[in-house]
Amino acid sequence: MALNYDYDESSETWPFFLLTILLMLLIPLTLMQCYKLIYSKSKKDTRNHEDDKYSELEALNDIDTPEEIIKFRSKYTSKSKLSCLFNWKNLFIVVGWAVVFYLVQRISNNDAIKQAAIGIFDPYDILGISSSSSDKDIKSAYRKLSIKFHPDKLSKDLSADERIVMEEKYVQITKAYEALTDETVRENYLKYGHPDGPQSTSHGIALPSFMVEGSSSPILIMFYISLLGIVLPYFVSKWWSKTQSYTRKGIHTKTASYFVDRLVNYKPSEVVTVDLIIKWLSHAEEFKQFYPSLTSKDFEELLHDHINRKSSNEKGPDRNIIKNRIVAKCHSLLLGLLDIAAGFRNTDVANVTLDTFKCIVQAIPSNPKAELLQLPNVDKEQFENGSLDDIFTIGKLFTFDDERIGKILGIKDEKLLKRTLTVASNIPHIRLLKADFVVPGETQVTPLSTPHISLKVLIRSAKHKIINTESFPESMLSEPQDFEHQRNPFSIIEEQPLIPYSYSPYFPVKRRSAWCCLIALQKDNKIIQTPAIINNLSFHNLSKSLDKREVKMAGKDIKGFIPEDWEIGTIKVPLGQPAPNQEGAVYFRIILKNTDYFGADLDFTMTMNVREYSEKDLQQMREESYNNDDEDSDVDESEEELEESDDEGSDSEYTDIDTDTEVEEDAVEDREIKNNLLFI
Amino acid sequence: MSSFNETFEDAFNTTSNGTYTNNTNGTNFNGTQFNQEPEMEEILKNVSFYTPIIYSAILLISLLLFASQYKKSQLKKRTELPSIFDENDARDLYFEIKSMDDVHEKVIKAALLNRGAEAIRRSLKMKELEPQIELIYKNGSVGEEYWQRFQNEMKLMEVEFKDCIQEAEALQPGWVQLFVGNAREICFNQAMQRRFDAIIKRKEVSIKEWDLKLDDNGMLIK
Amino acid sequence: MSSSTILYNPNSKQLSLPSDITDIPQENETLIINCEQINKLSTSLISESNPNFTPQPKEEASKLIKNLFETGLKQMKSNKLQEALKSISLAIEMQRRKRTPYEAFGIQLQELQLMLRQKIDLELLTGKYLDAVQDLEFLLGTGMLAPEVFIRLTDALLKLNQVHQAKVYCERGLSFAPNETKLKALNMECTRKIKEYNGDI
Repeated sequence: MALNYDYDESSETWPFFLLTILLMLLIPLTLMQCYKLIYSKSKKDTRNHEDDKYSELEALNDIDTPEEIIKFRSKYTSKSKLSCLFNWKNLFIVVGWAVVFYLVQRISNNDAIKQAAIGIFDPYDILGISSSSSDKDIKSAYRKLSIKFHPDKLSKDLSADERIVMEEKYVQITKAYEALTDETVRENYLKYGHPDGPQSTSHGIALPSFMVEGSSSPILIMFYISLLGIVLPYFVSKWWSKTQSYTRKGIHTKTASYFVDRLVNYKPSEVVTVDLIIKWLSHAEEFKQFYPSLTSKDFEELLHDHINRKSSNEKGPDRNIIKNRIVAKCHSLLLGLLDIAAGFRNTDVANVTLDTFKCIVQAIPSNPKAELLQLPNVDKEQFENGSLDDIFTIGKLFTFDDERIGKILGIKDEKLLKRTLTVASNIPHIRLLKADFVVPGETQVTPLSTPHISLKVLIRSAKHKIINTESFPESMLSEPQDFEHQRNPFSIIEEQPLIPYSYSPYFPVKRRSAWCCLIALQKDNKIIQTPAIINNLSFHNLSKSLDKREVKMAGKDIKGFIPEDWEIGTIKVPLGQPAPNQEGAVYFRIILKNTDYFGADLDFTMTMNVREYSEKDLQQMREESYNNDDEDSDVDESEEELEESDDEGSDSEYTDIDTDTEVEEDAVEDREIKNNLLFI
Repeated sequence: MSSFNETFEDAFNTTSNGTYTNNTNGTNFNGTQFNQEPEMEEILKNVSFYTPIIYSAILLISLLLFASQYKKSQLKKRTELPSIFDENDARDLYFEIKSMDDVHEKVIKAALLNRGAEAIRRSLKMKELEPQIELIYKNGSVGEEYWQRFQNEMKLMEVEFKDCIQEAEALQPGWVQLFVGNAREICFNQAMQRRFDAIIKRKEVSIKEWDLKLDDNGMLIK
Repeated sequence: MSSSTILYNPNSKQLSLPSDITDIPQENETLIINCEQINKLSTSLISESNPNFTPQPKEEASKLIKNLFETGLKQMKSNKLQEALKSISLAIEMQRRKRTPYEAFGIQLQELQLMLRQKIDLELLTGKYLDAVQDLEFLLGTGMLAPEVFIRLTDALLKLNQVHQAKVYCERGLSFAPNETKLKALNMECTRKIKEYNGDI
């Protein structure tokens, strides 16, 4: 209630003020750093565990990496462990805590603060009793103390100062007693915390007085002005312009605008090629920011040099370093472009963007034989001019014996060939075992429900004998039905390990691959949602030896194949929109493309049968709920049966349309023409 | 309010009566009141009656100036933003042909029909792209500036369309109705023609991409 | 665009572009296309006597195209495939040249699609699979999503050894006609060929 402001004369509040602010910053920051330290350690542990099986390829990756790239990596990417420990954040934490301890020390040594603490009135404390004491106890305590401290009973040889202290003490005791017995005083105590009624409060500014007085006050004013007028606006504007100049996908807005321009002006008559995507990439604002003196033509040339594995140094000084820097940046640019292309629903552009991704990661131009050219030590000329023209895949390559493979690829050195074969057998290939639309808690897709796509895949080596879905027991392909997985059907993804580092010796940065999942409607071949990115899949199977040149078949079964030894990967993709309102079949094209490896893709159609529960289904479900405990797989089987019968049901419908109503079809066609014209 | 006054008076009474005040409290309640008042009066005497008015006037005017200036610069920036489409060659060609001497009247008409067809193509394209651009803007895949450009384009498109119609009316009074219908057919036919003409180029690209070896008759060499 | 990009020939009433533009066609694509479009429109307008012309298709052109096309069909029946292909290609070329850009689009498109279907069959019969693929993709691009188109496209792509592309088109075709037996058979063929391609058989 005071009308003026005091400065902190006796330095009793500003240390508290500072302490609070410091702790507010320090505690969360310290916890965060500690968490990071522990978390990264534990992550490293699990990673090491997983990668042991895969480290062979990683070691080869290091061997095959050109020296220039190694230099580049050490210069631009890897941070030493020391720098991890001694960075600005940790420095702040250490200094911060030091200041905290100093302040605590200061506070505990400061008399004024102690005085203030004493000034707080606690009648029980003064009387030396506990707060739960009865009236009787209060009275007896008061009597004892008042006898001891009564001014009349004090000994005469006390000094004047001591006498005053004693007298004051007596007054306090009386007041304390009153506070606990007298009605009005007691009320005052309860209301204001003091028997005399409300105490005057002081509003102070928590600044030590030396900062305000005399010569230092202009400095303080300058400090305030610079803080509020310059520093704060500067940081706010910097932060704001930064959020404004980068999109949520982390690419520069100018780059994003350029990509959108290209997609808006994209002529549907044009074929999208890797070269076209590279041309688009070369206009990225990021490149211009790195090297303002170079033009997009230069960048395009550099990118082409990269995918053709050509040195660019003759074009100018440091061109190879420039090349590596812009190539490293392509990762985020390509993901940004993929996102925009999917936003424009353009399947072709999104598809070729992912092809470009592989080309840039493996430094190989788009080529039907790229899957084999991504292997190390391949003599390109001998391979391409070889007599065998129909080998395009690693899988095909592994149908020949090792010696023959060496001849095909033009590798004479046995050691080199062995390395090449190791890489070849460790490049992941993906085989689809099962694909379903799943509505959690339901057995089929009902109208307007929200299904997600659930894929069961087998990550395998091209060397392996092909394994069919039937070779795996049903239980391995179904999902755990416990509560946790019902509640969050996507938690199963997190349980899978991260995809290990890629074999990509020509990419400037060590990287992990990922699968991008594009989902398009077959009706118009347009993408319906933003691409899903899959980062978790186990590569455990790649170390298995089930060489197709060696294994023998026993009827339909593969000899020596134990399904339980193999890991089945799960990919789940949420759908961006609910199932359609009406019953019927909807066809989706699912494109699953790896960002790093050629030959590790899937492109297939999924049918979503939207159906209400029929009376029969409901009855079946009721029966099932009676004997629910028996089997889980039962549900799946009955579902499949139903799906099949449903297909047969629609059989007649389709033939009807095909034969009888051609006129109608024409009308539909005409409408479709008008719609599709925008493609042209 | 009343309770506040009561406590205030209470406080006043008790503190002035009480002997023992909190000794950490440097300033006394009464003292501050008495010290403050003469000072305040002094200040009030020195400050002219117009000071607050002048102060607020300056503040208001500077704010208004800033706002109008900012608006102007934003508007200028907006109009300087490029179109979301590439250069409109159809429109540029029309103006160029029109400005040339002794060009056959029907050539001008042809150029205008071509321009109208392009205007229709763009408006169709915009209609197709509108929900998609809206979506990527909402997703934050594209910046604020692009969204501004897109909004501009909507208006520019209308202007361009009106321009075409006015020009058509000027070239041949009463032609407008047929002009729009014809431009529409031309737009579609031209699109089809462009797609048809692209077949040759697409074939070349496919040969390169698929690494095909064909003979002169277009047959695959085994 | 600089002020004098185009040249006008008052005799032929045609526009042309200076050589510095036509020398780099890939960078001036839209400009070149626009010039062609205007030229075509000018030619059509100059031969048009009615100032209030309508999208009504021209009888004269229809007859010419029909005659050429029917010649092709006759040749096809008598098994002269190469000649038939030539005649039908000529019919298509005539249609593209004689029809004015403002004649009804719906009719022009149907006419072109009809002729292209014949042309594609002839291309497939004579082994010109890549040409067939291009023409089939044109049909798809203009909204003709009929099972026959997908069947032919899959077949042609398999012949060109583009197994993955073939499968994509085959499955798309099946999504329009799930019980089309030919497509089902082709789908199995695609799967088999992909297995062979990957060395899995």
